[in-house]
Amino acid sequence: MACLFSQMTHFTISSTPAEHGITLYTLRNANDMRVTISDRGATLISWWAPDRYGREADILLGYADHDGYLTNAPFFGGIIGRWGNRIANGRFTLDGIDYQIDCNEGPHHLHGGEGGFHLMPWTVQTDPEGLRLTLASPDGAAGFPGNVLASVLYRLDDDGRLSIDYTATTDAPTPLNLTSHGYFNLNGGAGDICDHILSIDADQYLQVDPQLIPAKVAQVAGSAFDFRQPAPIGPRLAWPDDQLRLAGGFDHCYCLRQRQAAPDQSGRNLQALREVATVYDPGSGRQLTVSTTENGLQFYSGNFLDGVQGRATEAYAVHDGFCLEAQAYPDQVNGPEREAVILRPGQVYRQTTAYRLTVRG
Amino acid sequence: MTKVPAVHRIALLFNGNKIFDRDIIAGIGEYLTSTRASWDLYLEEDFRCRLQGIERWQGHGIIADFDDPATCEALSRVHLPVVAVGGSYADEEDYPKDIPYVATDNFKLVKLAYDHLIEAGLQNFACFSLPKADVNRWAQEREKAFETLMQRDGLQGHVYRGVGTNAPSWDTTVEQQIAWVRSLPKPIGIIAVTDARARQLLQACLCAGIAVPEQVALIGIDNDPLARILTRVPLSSVIQGTVEMGRTAAHLLHQMLHGARFSDTRILVPPAGINVLASSRHEARNHPHVMQAMHFIRQYACQGIKTEQVADYVGVSRSSLDWYFRRELGRSVHDEILRFKLDAAKRMLQHANSNIADIAVSCGFTSVQYMHAVFKRELGCTPREYEEQQLASATAQPAIQIPKKKAALASSPTPALQLTEPTNGN
Repeated sequence: MACLFSQMTHFTISSTPAEHGITLYTLRNANDMRVTISDRGATLISWWAPDRYGREADILLGYADHDGYLTNAPFFGGIIGRWGNRIANGRFTLDGIDYQIDCNEGPHHLHGGEGGFHLMPWTVQTDPEGLRLTLASPDGAAGFPGNVLASVLYRLDDDGRLSIDYTATTDAPTPLNLTSHGYFNLNGGAGDICDHILSIDADQYLQVDPQLIPAKVAQVAGSAFDFRQPAPIGPRLAWPDDQLRLAGGFDHCYCLRQRQAAPDQSGRNLQALREVATVYDPGSGRQLTVSTTENGLQFYSGNFLDGVQGRATEAYAVHDGFCLEAQAYPDQVNGPEREAVILRPGQVYRQTTAYRLTVRG
Repeated sequence: MTKVPAVHRIALLFNGNKIFDRDIIAGIGEYLTSTRASWDLYLEEDFRCRLQGIERWQGHGIIADFDDPATCEALSRVHLPVVAVGGSYADEEDYPKDIPYVATDNFKLVKLAYDHLIEAGLQNFACFSLPKADVNRWAQEREKAFETLMQRDGLQGHVYRGVGTNAPSWDTTVEQQIAWVRSLPKPIGIIAVTDARARQLLQACLCAGIAVPEQVALIGIDNDPLARILTRVPLSSVIQGTVEMGRTAAHLLHQMLHGARFSDTRILVPPAGINVLASSRHEARNHPHVMQAMHFIRQYACQGIKTEQVADYVGVSRSSLDWYFRRELGRSVHDEILRFKLDAAKRMLQHANSNIADIAVSCGFTSVQYMHAVFKRELGCTPREYEEQQLASATAQPAIQIPKKKAALASSPTPALQLTEPTNGN
């Protein structure tokens, strides 16, 4: 099966052809940790990692076969573009022109619309550093202007860190907000994620309206949303809270603490790569540490997973997985900081987000 | 103009001599620090709970430990907003009625300990509980959880409650504990319902020469630093989510002071982690000589013992003990002693301003120079450099990171040592 085409100091990549013309690529580090990525949607399929006793499990949620990924309604593991999260009514104004883009979640745009990046066939390019996938998104795709060339580079190091480096260019101004939509369950599916202990380095988050469009910035202090100190997810879901009721759990964007803002030429107010969140599962001892250059981190507690038939024998249930999606703010293209999410010709969009998996205790 | 928030008078009815209650109070304090809630807290000067006249107290709200039925009873006559905290119950009927309740999840505490013992390779299990009393219903709930898990897995679990301890009967109590442990199949994993209980049993095992963790792998609940300090073999423990319980109780009361009513709200908080130390780090080492020797080394490595003394304790010659060690562990008895000393020194160096000479002495090194040499060869740095690395990595961690150094260090495999102690007797 494995056609080895790259051998590096830190990891090996092997590829396996699958149905629908999809090819799977596996990054493997020196400790035999393995991450499998599909060229359909540059999607994270599996991440095999040991627990504190050395037992391996796949800590990502996903489908049993590739048919599921052709529609992938929960966005399992995909690279999301051109726009991660929601745009109210699928409308924005750019340089005086009004745009109407795909509305695929009620009246709103979500995660790139019907033909989002996560459903597209990406092209794999040889890269000495890791697995590089590129996608040409044509002018008018999902209603967005400009031909966009996007690229992600996946790297897996021997410390268990999966880095995702994003770059993108365009030939006409367009909103751009990329993210990775991996669903994690650190116990490998032995139970839900309610006993996972989460911390997020954010003092504020965006409250949403009943249609999950950001309505205002709120302090996390004194609320169920305060994860500045580690707290278990399940009990927080049980705190009486209007925002939790509205979203059926956590589905909110955190405004990450800003450190050493380094505005690049695109004016995106990029941050230095810094640790922004950790999730620890006391049962398995696995810990996930998230680092990013982005300003926003969407925490989603798998509220809509109920009944989704994934790769386990039983269908997924609510809170069987969580997502931590590093990104710009939802609907930012209609907010005061809209210019920061516009990519213009001659500029390069850059983001680095890393997920590091370790064991404790 | 900033509005001065209203000050509320809040009573905290807890027993601050218990680590469980202290950590809940800490969580309440943490919540208050993070918010603009302005509470005057009413606590007894010795942090203990006194209920007399509580129904006449002129305050705004109460957070109380409901593990004691007397508290439950006394507060049933109080008409202020009350938030109860305590242990979870398997039976719905056992919860106090019509009151918001924040619970430590007793089932999950025991399950985490049990799963850990299974992963350590054990096949026999026991639970060391407490004599039944109104004030320790949580101990019975943990017993129940243990028995449920045994039943689920088709295993024969052993439960022992023993007797309450008091000075005159102390010796008998210990003898009974020893007799119970001796009667159990070995090797066995024992879950104690608290660290205090685990510490007693650990001591009884050491008195009786029962090797921990080779014959008895032991884990408690509470992660009580006091219990850890008072044991010769570092005690493994399940960490309760007490700080989060405190935050949760404070949040509920905070809302109630502003008119919210949560009479049917019940929030169960899972364990916050597990601190795996030597007492449960069972490995399937079969040879009794090696087990006995490890038992002795674990207790006395830092007192400067040599291979001869270990061999004397086991009752075999030095060379044959070394032969067994090399076969089972791939290293000599001397290497094993040194490994323990090095681990102890590494632990002590994690505290700021430690005196290297003192550490060398208290870890059983014959001299500072020798400890220095061991560090250089095993870790590639001096003790001082090691300390600096540890402090640097501790301060470099962002505030959100959960402390993990102790567990990580304790679990990191130490490379096989090939140092020989200087023979010049320095």
